[in-house]
Amino acid sequence: MTVAVLRLAGVTKTFRAPRGGGDVVALSGVDLDVREGEFLTVVGPSGCGKSTMLSLVAGFAQPTAGEVLFQGQPVLEPGPERGVMFQDYALFPWRTVMGNIEFGPYALGVGKAERRGRARELIQLVGLEGFEDRYPHELSGGMRQRCALARMLANNPTMWLMDEPLAAVDLQTRIILQDELLRLWGDGGSAKRSTVLFVTHGIDEAVLLADRVVVMARRPGRIKAIVDVNLPRPRAAQRSSPALAELVGRVWDLIRDEAVRAIAEETN
Amino acid sequence: MSSALRRVATAAQPMIGIAALIAAWQAASVIAANPTLAPPLGAIARQIAAMASTDLLNDVVASLVHLLLGYGCGAILGLVLALLAARSEWFAAILDPYVEFLRPISAIAWIPIAILLFGVGRGVPVFLIFYASLFPILVSTLDGVRSVDRGLINAGRALGASRRLVVTNIILPAALPSILSGARLSLGVAWVAMVAGELVGADAGLGWRIMWYQEFFSMDGVMATIVVIGAVGWLLDALLRALQRRLLAWSPTTGARG
Ligand SMILES: Nc1ncnc2c1ncn2[C@@H]1O[C@H](COP(=O)(O)OP(=O)(O)OP(=O)(O)O)[C@@H](O)[C@H]1O
Ligand SMILES: [Mg+2]
Repeated sequence: MTVAVLRLAGVTKTFRAPRGGGDVVALSGVDLDVREGEFLTVVGPSGCGKSTMLSLVAGFAQPTAGEVLFQGQPVLEPGPERGVMFQDYALFPWRTVMGNIEFGPYALGVGKAERRGRARELIQLVGLEGFEDRYPHELSGGMRQRCALARMLANNPTMWLMDEPLAAVDLQTRIILQDELLRLWGDGGSAKRSTVLFVTHGIDEAVLLADRVVVMARRPGRIKAIVDVNLPRPRAAQRSSPALAELVGRVWDLIRDEAVRAIAEETN
Repeated sequence: MSSALRRVATAAQPMIGIAALIAAWQAASVIAANPTLAPPLGAIARQIAAMASTDLLNDVVASLVHLLLGYGCGAILGLVLALLAARSEWFAAILDPYVEFLRPISAIAWIPIAILLFGVGRGVPVFLIFYASLFPILVSTLDGVRSVDRGLINAGRALGASRRLVVTNIILPAALPSILSGARLSLGVAWVAMVAGELVGADAGLGWRIMWYQEFFSMDGVMATIVVIGAVGWLLDALLRALQRRLLAWSPTTGARG
């Protein structure tokens, strides 16, 4: 019996509405157990609390009620064992690619030679050789994404928290980055995989990557269903498998009503 | 257009404005035909040359000493107060009414009190420069620090940065564009305050030299000094701008490589 590396128990998060009015319930009574080494993807309509859930796990905010336990301990603040990749990358604009990637080890007091070496390895891993001295604004969207990925990996986090990491690139780049991400995670069957919480709007992507897909509903934000994806790995070979298409259909059926309602509310 | 040609054209742009001004002045002096009111260019140029071989260097140095003392203290204090206010809510609450009350008051309004306090000498211009340069950098730095992207701070914390590291490696660099543009604004008003203070409350400096020439009814001398004040002020701003470009090479808007 494996213990949950991450446990959300009755997690509720409300935000005070900025201009009076009622409070916004971003998450309501969310229970979730994540096993070690599991790849979990999270889908759901806009505003259902996906980013909120991630930021609670990261430790950027505290739940209003319930608890978030990481390795059995309540999450009180961010920590380097939980790496975060932000949707807008949040790269430090005043640091070069190299400077961004080595910031984590630098913050943890790793010596210069060692962190340089580690950063070089990662730069090679994500294919950014030759761009070490570029500033983020001098990179393409896909390159920024790789840089953010390498920065997250530099501390060897045991948990990867990724908020729509591939949303802002074109389809070809996204497919390539999906494959790379899987490879880095150890899709080919490496012994020690990190635990991944991966928020996405792409249902195909969610199913392709995941061991389980968490489908969320909104108002209030809660987990509607969890779909097991029992497809063999490596997944790159499964892109056109009928079993994958069927699962995509199932997830889509689960969120269609929510999505339709979300659009109706937004246009009213 | 070839790139070399374009570079020459870009360098020539400010010259066009200067050339137009010179031509207009020369035309005015010819039309006015009154060398006391509008001395011709030749006279001003001769005057500058004459000053250069006598007191000009002393005057410039005296002014720069005033500036260094007043601006140095004012800009540093402004920066420190802003950083403290950004750190502590209650310090900000105490500071804010003083800043909002004092900031709109022109430094020049303090001249009588400054003369009373310090007497004619170095104290008056230094105080006025200090007063004038305090607020722009303070307000601008505070704005910059307060508007640092929360996401960058979170990114740093998730990468293991301590609170101190977040301040030195994230908040300060993120606020640097605001700090530097505040420093430039401060320098601009400091230069104005310096001339005002020296005009009436000092015994040396370029502003003082204007009054000195006025007593001899030498408009050539007054105009020549004004030209020098403009040129040195421009030079100082150019220095800060170069510093800005150097320090903000990473910024997509100010970066030299961008
Ligand atoms: N700091 C905040 N202050 C007030 N309300 C907030 C805050 N953060 C999130 N919310 C609200 O909480 C709800 C959930 O937001 P969240 O960003 O978690 O949604 P999401 O699922 O990530 O949406 P998207 O898919 O559009 O990114 C929204 O209604 C949002 O307006
Ligand atoms: Mg979101």
